[in-house]
Amino acid sequence: MFEILMSMIKEEWRIHSTIFSGMKFFLFPFVISLFVFLVSLLFSIFSSIITFNQIALLIHYLFVLFGLSVGAFGLLGREIMNRRFEQASMIAYSSRTLPLSEKRILLNFFIKDIIYYFLLWILPVVVGFAIASPIISVNLNYSFILLTTLTLSFLIGLSISFFLSTIYVHSMKLLIGILSLTIISGVFTNRYFHTNVMELLPSITFFFNPSMNLIIASLAIVVILSSFSIFFFKVDYAEKKRMFKNHFNVLSNIFRFNKYSIFIAKDILDMNRSGGGMGKILFSLLFPLIIIWLMLSIFLKLLPTTNTLIMFSIFLGVMSSSIYNWLTEFDLFTAYSFLPIKTSEVIKGKLNTYVLLNIISLIILIVVALVTSILNYLLPSIASFIMVSFYSLAVTVYLTGLHPNILLYDAKILLAYVLLISPVLLALIFLSVLNPFYLLMSPLLMVLSICLIKKSFKKWDDWEQQSF
Amino acid sequence: MKNAIEIKGLTKIFGELKAVDNVTLSIKEGELFGFLGPNGSGKTTTVKMLTGQIKPTKGNATILGKDILRSPIEIREIVGIMPEQENPPSFLTAEEYLHFVAKIRKLDNIKEKSDYWFEFLDFENQKNVLCKDLSRGTRQKLMFAQTFLHNPKLVFIDEPLINLDPIIQKKVKDYLQNFVKSGRTIFFCTHVLEIAEEICTNIGIIYNGKLIFKGPMKDLKRRGQHLEDFFLKLVKEA
Repeated sequence: MFEILMSMIKEEWRIHSTIFSGMKFFLFPFVISLFVFLVSLLFSIFSSIITFNQIALLIHYLFVLFGLSVGAFGLLGREIMNRRFEQASMIAYSSRTLPLSEKRILLNFFIKDIIYYFLLWILPVVVGFAIASPIISVNLNYSFILLTTLTLSFLIGLSISFFLSTIYVHSMKLLIGILSLTIISGVFTNRYFHTNVMELLPSITFFFNPSMNLIIASLAIVVILSSFSIFFFKVDYAEKKRMFKNHFNVLSNIFRFNKYSIFIAKDILDMNRSGGGMGKILFSLLFPLIIIWLMLSIFLKLLPTTNTLIMFSIFLGVMSSSIYNWLTEFDLFTAYSFLPIKTSEVIKGKLNTYVLLNIISLIILIVVALVTSILNYLLPSIASFIMVSFYSLAVTVYLTGLHPNILLYDAKILLAYVLLISPVLLALIFLSVLNPFYLLMSPLLMVLSICLIKKSFKKWDDWEQQSF
Repeated sequence: MKNAIEIKGLTKIFGELKAVDNVTLSIKEGELFGFLGPNGSGKTTTVKMLTGQIKPTKGNATILGKDILRSPIEIREIVGIMPEQENPPSFLTAEEYLHFVAKIRKLDNIKEKSDYWFEFLDFENQKNVLCKDLSRGTRQKLMFAQTFLHNPKLVFIDEPLINLDPIIQKKVKDYLQNFVKSGRTIFFCTHVLEIAEEICTNIGIIYNGKLIFKGPMKDLKRRGQHLEDFFLKLVKEA
């Protein structure tokens, strides 16, 4: 039992250290502690804008979300792992080849996730906060409570994820039913009992009002949901063979005006047919954008000279370039390397698809301007959005080629990315403070972006393909 | 007969590892050349250099008269390559993948060409299935089809038979033998010695990056020597 657990912890560590550049990953918990420590020092500034209760609620729900994502990736992430590492064979999927029952494997997997992510995330977050506590005059007892409640929040998220994954492998319809029922009950409770459903999470209630009953309630949720999963989970569930008519020809015909129509067609099919469809791109773009909008609306109260829409357009430009990361997620260049095309041709194909998809971000910007009635600065916002998005994209392509999802986690490359992007963003913000209409000059950035993209083509054509 | 492949002192070094060490070799048009060697001996690295996928550290080669350093894309236009490990892209169907390759190769009559291969390799019923959902054998059929789709004069094929059932294996072996009879050339990487012995006209044996033998298969057969015994003896001595 212990050997399996240790092997799973080693496996998790090696996956992360492979993705995130070897032993540099060892520093990760320290970086987290340092970051939380620094953010905690700003507590007095935050508290004048956002209440302590709101911060606590936000942090606890972030850990619930974290638990959900850890569980979902671990159990259902085989497809992603196989795309990245070609043939990934993890211990979690080995019940068919090793004399181990699925129940035993899943129990070990669950315990591994708890230990690993407690040490990697929860503990460093609380340590960072605890070190800052005396400086910001917060009672150290809060750190102990926080350690308990963040762990419970993570465990609740993890066990919900295991529970939903178990339902998913048995019946997709049942999963949709349970999710719909949960949402309807939440809305109903909110509306008719005038209760904020968000505050019903026992771990958060415990944070505000510690009691043994709430600990028992939290643990009961975790034990019931995870026991259900351990008893009923199937690792090797039958995946349907998905069949489609030839849409590739139709799409490449639609985009025939573009030299890279076949790559655009392939990219669109990849996005549509992979898990989550186009919705995952929209969600991964919209979710952070909503948070950015909320943060900007709060923090710009401190900097009244800056326009929210202008700032939003600049951040939207950076976020929008992440669409390129999605486009490179579906296959490695090795799938093309034996065909008569250069790496730069594939990159050009992705850039053309990106230009088409970037219209989504432009629409978001216009909708935000219309909804919030900030129309006076719409033109400079559009100009800065387009230029920032292309500049960020050019930097991403130059530094990472067709591998942004892997190389951006290399500390050196990430640092270069930050150093190349931040001065430009700061310059644009500075210009916008002087006069937002100065941003109409931002198309000058296009020259820099084009130079960078051209250099990228040469760089990546000369680069010898490696496997990761 | 002209030389289809001419290799001079080809060397590839990765860090401290000499993956391919000064290989010199020529292969004539119409040969079914078996490039044999144990796992990790340098077969795949050699093919990658010959098809311009990676650059040699030293040495050079010409493929159908084209220099691998100067014309890697032109070489990949005129040859077919069937890599051992690569899978077709996950989210295209088998038919869409062949059409994708055909469009990259700028071919005409794409549908007829792809339908021919679906019928020949007996997987018409799988052509609308996503590549990621295909069995290993069917993926191999698909990779075989993309290799020959543009009717190349020379192909590099890496373990093309390993996951195929005996009926399709026989069909493929016959196809390969007819392919070379028409004057075209096959560079066939394998470590399955029985198949090499059965279909290859010439062989080269690579071990630890060094070419330790090259010669016609008929010489071995004439001496009554089995390829397996010969191969094991050579590797042991090396």
